[in-house]
Amino acid sequence: MTHPRRDLDDLLGHPVRFSVVALLAAADRAEFGFVRDHVEVSDSVLSKQMSALEDAGYVKVHKGYVESRPRTWLSLTRQGRQRFERHLAALGEIAAGKAMPARAS
Amino acid sequence: MAESPQLSAEQARAALREAGTRAAQVYRSDRQLSWMLLVVAAAYLAVGAVMSFSPHHGRTYAGLAVLLMLAAAIGAGVVIGLRIRAYSRAGNIWYFSSIIAFNLWNAGVTGASIATGFWASGQPSYHFGLSVIVAIIPLLIGALVIGRRT
Repeated sequence: MTHPRRDLDDLLGHPVRFSVVALLAAADRAEFGFVRDHVEVSDSVLSKQMSALEDAGYVKVHKGYVESRPRTWLSLTRQGRQRFERHLAALGEIAAGKAMPARAS
Repeated sequence: MAESPQLSAEQARAALREAGTRAAQVYRSDRQLSWMLLVVAAAYLAVGAVMSFSPHHGRTYAGLAVLLMLAAAIGAGVVIGLRIRAYSRAGNIWYFSSIIAFNLWNAGVTGASIATGFWASGQPSYHFGLSVIVAIIPLLIGALVIGRRT
């Protein structure tokens, strides 16, 4: 029996990265400040985790201006969304107790 | 949440609960879209009332009132728009579908009125108000659906 933890994504094992991706999974786009406020981390912590997610191809960063003020928007890539869904499915299996090893007869 | 090798069933359930909480936070932000639809509906309803009940249609302050109401609606829309910090795909789809249905109805009514000669200075204007009542239905449905998502 393959343990569902094998489908867990290592990158999403980090609590802040998991929170960020969970937020972005529900959003088409979210502003950097929105993510920072809801995940309750500092700008620098979020920037660092965003870089890791962006480097892995999970997140896309969009920069623009609103009323001549710079604004950064974040969104999940297709790959990021697929990885997150797979991660959630694995979590669901573990939560349902499917991770129990088979007893030797 | 621990790294995967030590992840317990309880920790997995906590992570799943958190994913649900995060989604709800985005849906709450979507409600700004709902307010934008309501602003458009309210402004259009007000314009429809002025156009329908103005005793001197096109001659008195009706035109100015319509312009002021549209300016207020645009201002309110901009203020609400600037407050949008996140939106979901479903919220976006409902928002634009409502606006498209609203515009299609208006284009249809305008086209039919011109084609049939009903839209002329000598004609009664109450039909405009009736059309407005129908036109705002998709806006209200969109606002309701977006606003009720949790």
